[in-house]
Amino acid sequence: MSERLSVLIAEDNAADRLLLSAIVTREGHRALTAADGQEALELFCRERPQLVLMDALMPVMDGFEAARLIKLAAGETLVPIIFLTSLTENDALVHCLEVGDDFLAKPYNRVILGAKIRAMDRLRRLQQTVLEQRDLIAKHNEHLVAEQRVAKAVFDKVAHSGCLNAPNIRYLQSPYALFNGDLMLAAYKPSGGMHVLLGDFTGHGLPAAIGAMPLAEVFYGMTTKGYGLADILREVNAKLKRILPVGVFCCATLINLSFHRRVVEVWNGGLPDGYLLRGGSNERIPLVSRHLPLGVLEPAVFDEKYEVYPLLEGDRLLLLSDGLLETRNHAGELFGEQRLLDLMAANEQRGQLFDEVQQALSAFRGETQDDVSLIELSLIEEARSSPLTFSNDGNDTPLDWSACFEFRAETLKHMNPLPYLLQLLLEVQGLRSQVGALYTVLVELYSNALEHGVLRLDSSLKRDVQGFAQYYGERRERLARLEEGFVRFHLELRPEHGGGRLIMRVEDSGGGFDLAAARACEQAAEQLHGRGLKLVSQLAEKSDWENDGRGVSVEFSWSAQA
Amino acid sequence: MAITSQASDDGQELTILIQGRFDFGAHQEFRDAYERISTSPKRYVIDLKGATYLDSSALGMLLLLRDHAGGESAAISLINCSPDVRKILTISNFEQLFRIS
Amino acid sequence: MEAEYPVLLDTFLADSEERVRLLAGALQVKDAQLLRLTAHSFKGSCSNMGALSLADLCKQLEDQSERQSFDSAAVLVEQINREFAIVRILMKSERQRFRG
Repeated sequence: MSERLSVLIAEDNAADRLLLSAIVTREGHRALTAADGQEALELFCRERPQLVLMDALMPVMDGFEAARLIKLAAGETLVPIIFLTSLTENDALVHCLEVGDDFLAKPYNRVILGAKIRAMDRLRRLQQTVLEQRDLIAKHNEHLVAEQRVAKAVFDKVAHSGCLNAPNIRYLQSPYALFNGDLMLAAYKPSGGMHVLLGDFTGHGLPAAIGAMPLAEVFYGMTTKGYGLADILREVNAKLKRILPVGVFCCATLINLSFHRRVVEVWNGGLPDGYLLRGGSNERIPLVSRHLPLGVLEPAVFDEKYEVYPLLEGDRLLLLSDGLLETRNHAGELFGEQRLLDLMAANEQRGQLFDEVQQALSAFRGETQDDVSLIELSLIEEARSSPLTFSNDGNDTPLDWSACFEFRAETLKHMNPLPYLLQLLLEVQGLRSQVGALYTVLVELYSNALEHGVLRLDSSLKRDVQGFAQYYGERRERLARLEEGFVRFHLELRPEHGGGRLIMRVEDSGGGFDLAAARACEQAAEQLHGRGLKLVSQLAEKSDWENDGRGVSVEFSWSAQA
Repeated sequence: MAITSQASDDGQELTILIQGRFDFGAHQEFRDAYERISTSPKRYVIDLKGATYLDSSALGMLLLLRDHAGGESAAISLINCSPDVRKILTISNFEQLFRIS
Repeated sequence: MEAEYPVLLDTFLADSEERVRLLAGALQVKDAQLLRLTAHSFKGSCSNMGALSLADLCKQLEDQSERQSFDSAAVLVEQINREFAIVRILMKSERQRFRG
């Protein structure tokens, strides 16, 4: 079982040296002999024996000094040193064990020496195994860290292709957020405004990061194509449910900020309360989790119902993952919800809140680990839209066609047809540069036709915050009950001076509305319910409302080099 | 962390008692509690009286049990939840999937 | 051990003769340190060879050298000389047995 070892014997006494090497050879090992410490050290460095028998008192260099230098030369490899000694004082024996690993008193006992060599060999091999395993673990770890670095680089490309650096967003995120399972996404919608997602996957490490990729892809892909919150939520949930193992899911809040319409849509599944903080007052609306996290429910029972709030200049939205509330200080206390509520209550200037929270947090946690995701959103005036990327060149020859789409009750109930229309229109290269204006106009006209025409909602309801909530409640209910009605899009493309022109007419099954009254009402209540009609007039090259308010037609054109 | 399980006399109900922190560290023990049993219970009761903490991994484990117990048709009650534990279950809206008391 | 035994006896005798000379020299120049180390080392090999009374005398010499008491040391060196003469005779005759 035991392998043949090289054993260095350092002994100044020739007879003892001979005796020892005879015993060692009998035990099946190879004996190397030295007559003093200096010789022993040189022999050790040359032959690298696995074990040393060392006389304590020797001329030239004594055994203790030689042992110290041999240990130094051996580095982290354990070379057991057994001191040979006829010293009997406790101090001397203790010293043997401090510098070496064991001692053997003279006169030598062959059986005991053999047993000690075997015991030391076991110790040596144990140490060797530990070192090998340590090196293996270090190698694995290095490998893992390298993999994580690559994964993070790839992920950052996907996840941060959005607009987290937009002027209306401030955020706090650990550099290792990905491996904490935290995810922050933001993207401009084609119609201006933006979608923002804060997510927190179960678990840590790569398993937590793995679902982030498909989520980010769906989020960006669908947002860019003009899909709304409900469609994105359904798709993300279905996808995560399909690919993630049971027990892995994503707590998330998804926000739709519409700058033109001045509303915010909120869906929270499993994250702590976010907050809508009014700029003009100390009103604070909690954005409560009303749903199971994403990836838990089957698509058939998933609930994408979101809440809608009016958004005013100066308002702030604050979203957070539980990492913030669960931050601990040195005493092990939690940061907790109450500290955050107190901070918000004490806040005087909304613009300062984010900094105040950040300061309070770093004061609280000191140097401890950072696992916090916090994001603040505000309203900005200018409309921005995402730079669309296209996988094909589109059709740049003048197109000459017309088409009519009629979306009826069942369709209106369950899907948003706008992304399809947008995709179709963006086949026309000349329209691509106007995608923001085009989509905004599509959204406004469709909402107008659906809400006021088909559903006959009274937009004057939106005059105050309460009415606003009532309005969206009614919208949901009426849509669910809808049995008949339609919204019709007539699209006509004409070549024109080398460029072209799109004429789009939208009509609905409603009873029409009093155009003058609608405009007056809109002006009066501008703060709370967007500026739909005005916006359309501003963005489209031409817009004409039919006098009965049942139809509207808008035009966009592009020139030859577009 | 200690997890023990106890089947009712008729074998129809399995009670799993959680003590201490209910987090990823309890993963194997929790699975063993319902997989390594000789009975095939129709109902499950998770007693959280002794649970001091519950994290999202624990929620994941509850979903695994739910899957094991038949998914949509699973009958699982979570009982004796402390206010802290209750709050976490509420934020995640787990009352849609489990009976919580 | 049998094959090495005669070699071991030879080595011990040669080594011990050297040690006895060293002891006499060290005593003459009153080098307590050399006296002590030589006695210590001699003690070890004597005990290994079973020369127990010789080992015991070496031990006493080691102690007296440490205390620098050269008078007692001189007495002990003389005793070691005599005891070694006896051990030498015994070992030589032991050595004879292996010659043939």
